[in-house]
Amino acid sequence: MFTQSDGTVTDETLMEAVRNGDVAKLGMLFERHHRALFDFLVRMTGNASIAEDLVQDVFVRILKYRATWRGEGRFETWLFRIARNARADYFRTRTTNAPIDEAAAHPSHAPLPGDLLARNRDVARLQRALMLLREDKRELIVLARYRGMKLEAIADLLGIEVGTVKVRIHRAVKELRDIFLRLNESPSWNTTTSVGSCPTT
Amino acid sequence: MEHDNLSRLLPDDVDRREAEGLDATWRMLGGIDAPVPESDRMRARLDAALDAAEHPAPAPPSRWFGRRGLDGRRFHVLQGLAAAAILLVGVAIGRLVVPGDARPADSSSEIAAMRSEMRELREMVSLSLMQQQSASDRLKGVTWTGQLDRPSGEVVSALLDALMHDPNVNVRLATIDALERFASREDVRRATIQAVERQPSPLVQIALIDYMVKTNQRESATTLRRLAQDQQVDSAVRARAAWGVLQLG
Repeated sequence: MFTQSDGTVTDETLMEAVRNGDVAKLGMLFERHHRALFDFLVRMTGNASIAEDLVQDVFVRILKYRATWRGEGRFETWLFRIARNARADYFRTRTTNAPIDEAAAHPSHAPLPGDLLARNRDVARLQRALMLLREDKRELIVLARYRGMKLEAIADLLGIEVGTVKVRIHRAVKELRDIFLRLNESPSWNTTTSVGSCPTT
Repeated sequence: MEHDNLSRLLPDDVDRREAEGLDATWRMLGGIDAPVPESDRMRARLDAALDAAEHPAPAPPSRWFGRRGLDGRRFHVLQGLAAAAILLVGVAIGRLVVPGDARPADSSSEIAAMRSEMRELREMVSLSLMQQQSASDRLKGVTWTGQLDRPSGEVVSALLDALMHDPNVNVRLATIDALERFASREDVRRATIQAVERQPSPLVQIALIDYMVKTNQRESATTLRRLAQDQQVDSAVRARAAWGVLQLG
């Protein structure tokens, strides 16, 4: 399929053009996907500067490895696969953990009235809980909740069955809620846990 | 686009009450905002990469093969010859080493001479790769230097030259990795500190800052502090430089 129902050219067609040497088409793919990619990476790393560099790295990798695009699957899945690799490589080659961005760690900076302030505190605590969650679990939540990826697409991206995705989402949200509740009881709980590190399993 | 309702994403056998409890957490996740990307700056960086891919800058004149360098065909002939020569030298060394009875009296000096020739050949191939027009060949050349036992000063100079002048960001990034083994050399320390200020690419600047920290280059702290305070510098680089100063302090 070369065009979508709204008449626009599909991602896959654009990527095919990039592969065949029309590298300027990568700019169109960038315009379509860089915000989603940045959102995914900033929620995974907790750091906007790193996320920005990683987005750049992803598109440079696409340019570099354009010949490996086979056109057999969805472009978006391929894009996020490259993004996952880029993020893993970034943290593999760096021993220290980047600080969480203040801007990324707090949902709002504006002064708020009582109940809104309490709610805002809860959201900030949930954000912290999310960053304390092991990153393979955090990734599932980010893909499903914020990227709105279908279960089938997540399964394809991670190379697992749809049923397994459901089980893992269940476990991830359960663990997130547990961390959040523990943070509510004791705000200093587990503050030494690293951000952006690779999963232990 | 977002999955606002968690229940559709859970296995069928999850208890309804538990699902409702988890759904509250799921909905609260919707309150976490993420920063908005600086799209214009990011697009400018991508355009620079695309421009470099569409209009690659001509490679600088070769110091080892004359002003015109080697064209692709001649280079590949050289590469093939070099590979064959390395293979022959390897076989010859093997024959000299075993069997022991048949070993000539002066075999050790011959082995040393052949090893030296092999080293020179490998070095020559690495250096010539680094002079090619194709960025992927230059990248290969930089990577090959990592396999050299005792690279000469010429290799270090070529790496520093690539770090300062290669038009391709990926080649410059690979050069930083390749230079790590020479981090104790005074000329390398001096050049990398200079490079961190002169680099046009924020990606390379950040990689250089990480390199300074990893190789504990305390003398770079002044330069990093200057970068961290320079409002003309990319904000990500400024933040990384500030982090670098803290690490080296």
